[in-house]
Amino acid sequence: MLRLGLRLDRRLELLGALSYTARDLARRARKRHASLQKTQLMVLTPDFATRPVISFQHVWKRYETGTEALRDINLVVPDGDFMFLVGPSGAGKSTMVRLLIREEKPTKGKIFVDGVELGRMKRRQLPFYRRRIGLVFQDFKLLPNLTVYENVAFALRVHGEPDALIKTRVAEAVDTVGLAGKEQTYPANLSGGEQQRVAIARALVHAPKMIIADEPTGNLDPATAWEIMQLFLRINARGATVVMATHNREIVDLLRRRVVAIDAGQIARDDRSGRYHDDASKSQVRAR
Amino acid sequence: MMMLRNLKFALDSAWQSFWRNLAVSLAAVVSITLILILAGINLLVGHAFSQVLDGFRAKVSEMSINIADDTPLSTVYSFRDKLAGDPRVVSVKFVTKDEALAQFLADPNNAELTQQIVGNPLDAKLQVRVRNLSDVTAIDTMAQQWPGVDPTDPTNYQGDFVTRMLQLSQWLGIAGVALMSMLVIVSVVIVMNTIRTAVYHRRKEIEVMKLVGATEWFVRGPFVIEGVMTGLIAAAIALSLLVISYPPVVSRFSADITFIPLSYDPSFISSLARDLLLGGAMLGALGSYIGVRRYVRL
Ligand SMILES: Nc1ncnc2c1ncn2[C@@H]1O[C@H](COP(=O)(O)OP(=O)(O)OP(=O)(O)O)[C@@H](O)[C@H]1O
Ligand SMILES: [Mg+2]
Repeated sequence: MLRLGLRLDRRLELLGALSYTARDLARRARKRHASLQKTQLMVLTPDFATRPVISFQHVWKRYETGTEALRDINLVVPDGDFMFLVGPSGAGKSTMVRLLIREEKPTKGKIFVDGVELGRMKRRQLPFYRRRIGLVFQDFKLLPNLTVYENVAFALRVHGEPDALIKTRVAEAVDTVGLAGKEQTYPANLSGGEQQRVAIARALVHAPKMIIADEPTGNLDPATAWEIMQLFLRINARGATVVMATHNREIVDLLRRRVVAIDAGQIARDDRSGRYHDDASKSQVRAR
Repeated sequence: MMMLRNLKFALDSAWQSFWRNLAVSLAAVVSITLILILAGINLLVGHAFSQVLDGFRAKVSEMSINIADDTPLSTVYSFRDKLAGDPRVVSVKFVTKDEALAQFLADPNNAELTQQIVGNPLDAKLQVRVRNLSDVTAIDTMAQQWPGVDPTDPTNYQGDFVTRMLQLSQWLGIAGVALMSMLVIVSVVIVMNTIRTAVYHRRKEIEVMKLVGATEWFVRGPFVIEGVMTGLIAAAIALSLLVISYPPVVSRFSADITFIPLSYDPSFISSLARDLLLGGAMLGALGSYIGVRRYVRL
């Protein structure tokens, strides 16, 4: 039912996007932001009292090369949260993402997701853990020899889902990201923004509780980036927790969501409705 | 259901991967084919040798113990019964002097000698058929110690020849096993490398599969199937080449070297087919299994 309501919402948004230019980005965003804030206040304020979806407890990460990428990270992400991870290049954002999807293990400390400690998870459980997450990357990671439909269906095929279910789910996901009609196109014939939409469709086609995105707008122009961000907001409004590492200052500053700033492997700041840079100008200087 | 879908996925991608890396796939098929041809030749030579050996064995596992003329019949009978009761012995037959002479005269090879025969110079004998070739020596020793044996010409046992044959077949067996294991190792390495190339070509797909939650064996499956496919195709080619060339080679050989009883044995083809196809599939599976365990990890 949420989905139906949101599809309507998406149509309105697409109508809006037609007349959309980079120039009035800020003005429109502010308006949209205000309305989103309203809905959020009404129904979707993250409940910090509920069990956290993600929690980092004294997490350290040192790569084999000796690089100390993370130092004593403590972080709680409640269910339904929308969180930006910001910070200068090399701060450790991607490292946190890699730890979250258990591509890497912490050197010290524990990470819990849904009450399960990732470090204790057996290798054979790992795939089933990853099926509960949706992942989006800067470089889209689409398979060039598969069509849009097949790329989105890929996740479900890997999960061994039946064709009938794949069909309806993919149709829904493709529709959600606004690519209906492009199912048979190959990624090479899509724009960057469209490719990222395909990747997002693939990330949400199995209805994950948690979306993790590492610089999803990094390769996109501001207007497209903003459109992609709308998708994430919508997914979050459906109830999925979103963790997003980003360098997109404009968007972070406009949305005023939770911002966790990482600097040299440590949490420098954690604001519930923050900006890309700290308000104090001295930390702006330091962050650059 | 899910297993079936996964199998279909694996088969599809194995097939795609085989064609996508056609050059590497074909190189692997050709190498494995050559190896399986060698293995097949090894099997055929082994079979031919055992055929020949069986022929000799039939002759050699029968020995006769010559009896001194003055031995009382009761002694002969008791020794015959003793031999007959021995588990290593299949049958014992007493041949009297007269019968021995009749046998000798009946043989056309002895035609020239028959004129020179005066009286009956032949011994009466016990014809013993032994179950295992290797037991002939023991029976021979037993016969030599029997008081009734003809001391001038005790038995017709040719110990040297028998032990040589046994040794030769043992050595051939060992050489065959050594050759086979070398071939196995080489082909496993070849398949491993093919799989490594295939894994490299599909690294992006593998990365995405892992990220969207594919199980390790879901990712590995297509490669193992590709390996088995390579092995089976190679086995089929090797088998047809061998089957085509087996009869002419045998007839050529038996025409040239007549004293060795080698013959075309069509019943061996089915066992050769089974061995090669099974061997090809197993080599492919083993090579790709080792390959994916090394190169595809979550
Ligand atoms: N696989 C790795 N092996 C060794 N060192 C690594 C590895 N990945 C990252 N690092 C190092 O860890 C530190 C943190 O890297 P990370 O990729 O997490 O930064 P980031 O915040 O994502 O940067 P960016 O904004 O540029 O993406 C850097 O110093 C980087 O060089
Ligand atoms: Mg990064």
